[in-house]
Amino acid sequence: MTASRRASLRRNRLYLAGLSPAAFLLALFFVGPALWALISSFTNRALVGIDAANPRFVGLDNYTRLFADPDFGRVILNSVIFVIGSAIIGQFVLGLALALLLDHAERRGFLATNLVYASVLLAWVNPTIIAGFLWVAMFDFYNGSLNVGLSHVGLGPVDWFGSGPMLAVIIANIWRGTAFTMLIFLGALRTIPSDIYEAARVDGANAFRRFWDHTLPLLRPIAALTLLSVTMATFGTFILIQALTNGGPALQTEVIALYAYHQAFQAHAVGYGSTIAVVMLALNLGFAIVFLRWSRARA
Amino acid sequence: MDEVVRQIMTRRRFLQVAVASTVVVACSPSATGSSAPTQAGSSPAGGSGGAPASGSAISGTVNVTYPDEAGFKPKYVEQAAAALKSQYSGVDVKIDLQKIGDDDFYTKLLLRLDSGDVPDVIHVGGSLIGELSDAGYIEPLDTYLAAWEDWKQYPKAVQDGVSYNGKTWAIPYGLDMRWLYYRKDDLQKAGLAADWQPANVQGILDAAAAVKSKDSGVLPYALYAGPAGSSGTADHAFVPLLWAFGGELQDQSGKWIGDSPATKKVMAYYAKAYGDGLSPKEIITATKPWTAMREKLGNGGLALLFEGGWVYGGWAAKDKAATEQNVGYLLHPTESGGPSFTIGGPGTCWYITAKSKNKQAAWEFIKAVNSAEIVGKLNAEDPHPVARADAAEVPEFKSSKYLVDSTKALEKAKFTIPSPEYQKVIQAIQTATARVASGEIGADEAAKRYTDDLKQAVGADKVTTL
Repeated sequence: MTASRRASLRRNRLYLAGLSPAAFLLALFFVGPALWALISSFTNRALVGIDAANPRFVGLDNYTRLFADPDFGRVILNSVIFVIGSAIIGQFVLGLALALLLDHAERRGFLATNLVYASVLLAWVNPTIIAGFLWVAMFDFYNGSLNVGLSHVGLGPVDWFGSGPMLAVIIANIWRGTAFTMLIFLGALRTIPSDIYEAARVDGANAFRRFWDHTLPLLRPIAALTLLSVTMATFGTFILIQALTNGGPALQTEVIALYAYHQAFQAHAVGYGSTIAVVMLALNLGFAIVFLRWSRARA
Repeated sequence: MDEVVRQIMTRRRFLQVAVASTVVVACSPSATGSSAPTQAGSSPAGGSGGAPASGSAISGTVNVTYPDEAGFKPKYVEQAAAALKSQYSGVDVKIDLQKIGDDDFYTKLLLRLDSGDVPDVIHVGGSLIGELSDAGYIEPLDTYLAAWEDWKQYPKAVQDGVSYNGKTWAIPYGLDMRWLYYRKDDLQKAGLAADWQPANVQGILDAAAAVKSKDSGVLPYALYAGPAGSSGTADHAFVPLLWAFGGELQDQSGKWIGDSPATKKVMAYYAKAYGDGLSPKEIITATKPWTAMREKLGNGGLALLFEGGWVYGGWAAKDKAATEQNVGYLLHPTESGGPSFTIGGPGTCWYITAKSKNKQAAWEFIKAVNSAEIVGKLNAEDPHPVARADAAEVPEFKSSKYLVDSTKALEKAKFTIPSPEYQKVIQAIQTATARVASGEIGADEAAKRYTDDLKQAVGADKVTTL
């Protein structure tokens, strides 16, 4: 028993050596801070004021306050709308559609394929903050490209962030994030051998049937992982919305990550901000479990 | 339990960085980097620390950090540093000028103060004295002031404005006051007199409606609301309106007043300003909306704006003659037409940090940067009433009618409360005004929700309604 364990340890030594830097970094930059946030969420720690000088444990006070916070429901609802709009409908469905189109074009050898591919990718390789400023430059009321363009055709300026703030941030995030799902799906589509489709075509299956019976089932495991990844990334979106609306107007685009930031670093209530971060972490963990179960069940 | 807290405290340096990254990490699995503050050079302090050591040689490095987006201060800060260095050969001054907004600077500074890697001299708003002092971040200046002859030049009201819990914590250079600015040309086009004067607070909305009815593309009125308006939402909009309608922020016992008849009237005023399109919605959606609003009032694109007295300097610097001809300034009217007023404040002040290792040299720097000459010239350039009386005799200051008017207006000033909770109350005000300005809820409902916002901010036991 011990001998075999030792043998397995020896066998796995290389893996352990390879994994430990990653494990160490993860512990340093994720597990450590996460634990600290958990501890901090039970205190009234603040950046300034009397609570900064004398932080003390307050038990579950922050949690009871959070669940009684009338704004928190709004923030959760915003996050759900944002995730459904930009991650599930936008990035996931649009990314799949784009991948199918590009794959089709590639198989047919269309010339413009690479051009389209590159332009979608360009949105993705931009740092998020630059993508944010790009869209600010687009949507800005006074000097934004959209309103300047409208004024040239004699149409009045539209207050994009005022009349449809959530839609504006969703569009910006779809633009930014679609390339990721497209890339993954495109990779997966390329692994599907062409003869499957040829056989189906010989059997008289139309395009929809070929997609439904062959493409979709083959994509399912990768789809689950992609959905998990975009959902979690979107749920935690922070920089893009901060650059565009900073959660406004009146909490209309305040998502959970921004709310945690605003409580910790604008209201300077670090304990309360940590509480929100912990709740967010728990929700993300929940997503991960659900999606991973789903992907395993189908695989 | 206390033991655990103590352990947390000893690990502050690490944890401070950790909390910054936690929120970021928790926010986004794909996020990289942390928002830890930039750590400027730590202070290798020598020289005499602690109590004032008159007569003994002063030496060591003074680390000064201050924000300035407008660019008026650097040459005076450099001048003070040079004066100090030539006076004491052993003293060096390291200046960390941050060209960012006050809010961002403050957050960065707090993280730095919390970490223990502290500068010696900091420069932030005097309204923050309460919370900074409660946190133990700043040093009382009373022992230094006792030996400083010039302190007598500061009027009692100014000295009181930088006092908290019986101690003096900061040195102000220029005081805050605000004006109701109006464009004479825009109002005339709307059929109003060039020397327009509102009979009461409703008169502002009436003038704005007159401008709007001309449909000339001129924005009628900028009433700050929401978090985007920063502290202007409170100091340049909600608070003066509350006072104009006979309300107060706090009652006699120090409880913050939520819903009240005056609060309802303020919210109704907001509902009218935004509901009738007198104030543009972009104020609550744009970032730093004051930049656009100030610019527009300066060039005639906006007719009415209640703003800081210092804003006038930007317009005058661009075109002095046109500004004097077209921009009028008035005190804030009240509901009944009773005595008009302005909002006063201690302005941005100089502080010594509690953890400074070189307090005596830090104090010498603060003295140098607050000389009558520098205070007079700086305030003439970046127009504020001077904090020390003798600075008003500096020719550059004395020769400006605008500055003389501003200084005189301070006699009609009401001051905001130097409470450590005020910053939290400002956030409640931002949330509450955003709701009504965005049209999400009506005025009465908004006043009720303001009570909830206050309770969230300062605790239910410190809030009352009238």
